[in-house]
Amino acid sequence: MATGIARPTMESEDLRDPAYLKIRDAIYQISGIYQPEEKLYLLASRCARRMSALNAKTPTEYLEYLTIRGNREAELRLLLNEITIGETYMFRSPPQLEALRNVILPQILQAKKAMGFKRLHIWSAGCSTGEEPHTLAMFLLEESEKMLAGWTFDILATDLNDRSLAAAKAGIYGEYALRSTTDRLRKKYFRPYDDKQLQATEQLKSLIRFDRVNLNDDMKMTFLKGMDLIFCCNVLIYFDLGSKRKVLQHFFANLLPGGYLFLGHSETLYQVDDRFHLVHFPGSTGYLKPPIGYTGGGKP
Amino acid sequence: MNPQRLQQIRSKIEALEAMPAVPAIVLPLTAMLQLPADQVNMEKIVELVSYDGTIAAQCLRMANSPLFGRRNADTVRGAILALGLKRIEAILLGCCLNRIVPPDKWAFDPATFWRHSLGCALVSRKMANLIGYPDPEKAYLAGLLHDLGMLVNTLVSTDDFRNCIQAARDGHMALYRSEEEHLGFTHCESGKMLAEHWHFSGDVIDVIEFHHSAAAPAGATLVALVHLSDLLCRLRDLGYGYYEAMGVDFAGDSAWATLVESYPALTNIDLARLTMDIDESMGEIVAVVDAVFKP
Repeated sequence: MATGIARPTMESEDLRDPAYLKIRDAIYQISGIYQPEEKLYLLASRCARRMSALNAKTPTEYLEYLTIRGNREAELRLLLNEITIGETYMFRSPPQLEALRNVILPQILQAKKAMGFKRLHIWSAGCSTGEEPHTLAMFLLEESEKMLAGWTFDILATDLNDRSLAAAKAGIYGEYALRSTTDRLRKKYFRPYDDKQLQATEQLKSLIRFDRVNLNDDMKMTFLKGMDLIFCCNVLIYFDLGSKRKVLQHFFANLLPGGYLFLGHSETLYQVDDRFHLVHFPGSTGYLKPPIGYTGGGKP
Repeated sequence: MNPQRLQQIRSKIEALEAMPAVPAIVLPLTAMLQLPADQVNMEKIVELVSYDGTIAAQCLRMANSPLFGRRNADTVRGAILALGLKRIEAILLGCCLNRIVPPDKWAFDPATFWRHSLGCALVSRKMANLIGYPDPEKAYLAGLLHDLGMLVNTLVSTDDFRNCIQAARDGHMALYRSEEEHLGFTHCESGKMLAEHWHFSGDVIDVIEFHHSAAAPAGATLVALVHLSDLLCRLRDLGYGYYEAMGVDFAGDSAWATLVESYPALTNIDLARLTMDIDESMGEIVAVVDAVFKP
């Protein structure tokens, strides 16, 4: 079983080196990725790989590679690659699903019903190996007997990486990907594949349409209209500010008014796009495309 | 609001004065909390901490814990140095206010209450610093005390308040809404009474009374500041042990508008980043509170 990243055997004194905080801030500035203090050991382990490649002896010396040396942009990118490696798993953000259930879907359903529509379109942009769209599919199917009774829904799952997409389509997952999936849901939506892995049922797969989409491809992006929800987690971190803004323009155009965009846990649109409204939900945040006549968030 | 219930509460609050030691230490402490760090009189703090054997022992224990002091403190003065002024203030105020509720009367976990209060204090001060609010320490104090009325409610109508919390939890709703429904008054009203009784300063009393209200006095920036911090804490797992069903667009909140008028820098705050900072300080908040209230 993959266990994520092992805690490096590093003296805690090293972690207190203020250079790590500066590296943390440099990464945040460039990518919007924020490493909270309790996760600095992760940052340190990722830096360690780059430091040994460069033969940099101390975090301070490595910080120079990131800030004042000639090839600093390339180095930041390499460090970002290290940082964004990592497997994901299903039901990774329960607060996000709670926000969907308690606040967002009731809002969207009410608005759409008033217009006579009973169909939802959801897009998982940068779906990687498919954990996110499969989670959403399970969530929707569970709700289809409750608040979504009488509604139809589909999930578009896109990625640039062919290998990831093939894995996502196959829908075969091991213990790591399923670590937060309850036994009940495993039994209901998966079948044994081999002695270590499960495969998504046809019922689950039938809700998801996979497609290869480059978020930088204007032509393709223009035709993905009418979305109620877009999930784009830990993808925009690979984009520079200009292309990030372009992608967000497309997302904004592709969302219906009143629809939401969700980003990764540590990403923000601060100083990237000000048309979306940041909305806080318990334990999570989302970005709202304001509906016509929108005057601000409802308070409890 | 139910005037008859409020009158009953008022008379119970007036009887609170007879409770041991509480107001004696609260008043000098709240005065001290509002001073900038370089004007705080060390002797005075040593005196306040030593005033109560249990609190002094608590501070010593915390100072010697690897979580905080990481050094051998065997005197009150040493413990204060090891723990730092801000933690000492929070411990002191927490401990002495905690005393007004006997252990068997708590309608909820006192640690949850103090986590929320301390969280709100820290966020209020952080936000005050970010927007250039002139008195960040006042913001800290107001944040720490804004829910004082919860202690009053838990003390004077324990069972009703317990039901009230359960109803709020079950309905995923804000506690003050549940209080309106089940008690007939809110912690804002009862808290104001106690704060007046204890002669807190007017702006802190306003925060206690109006932090959930749209009827706050015009331009009450401290109220708006604490209101927003309180909301943010409740959205980041520093609420009352449950999540409310809510989606909050801070920029659309009337308190936000009030604050922006006096502190335009607010519009430049990276709210998503502030949220991450709160998550980051969670460990420290939980550690301080648990060390004090879960020995």
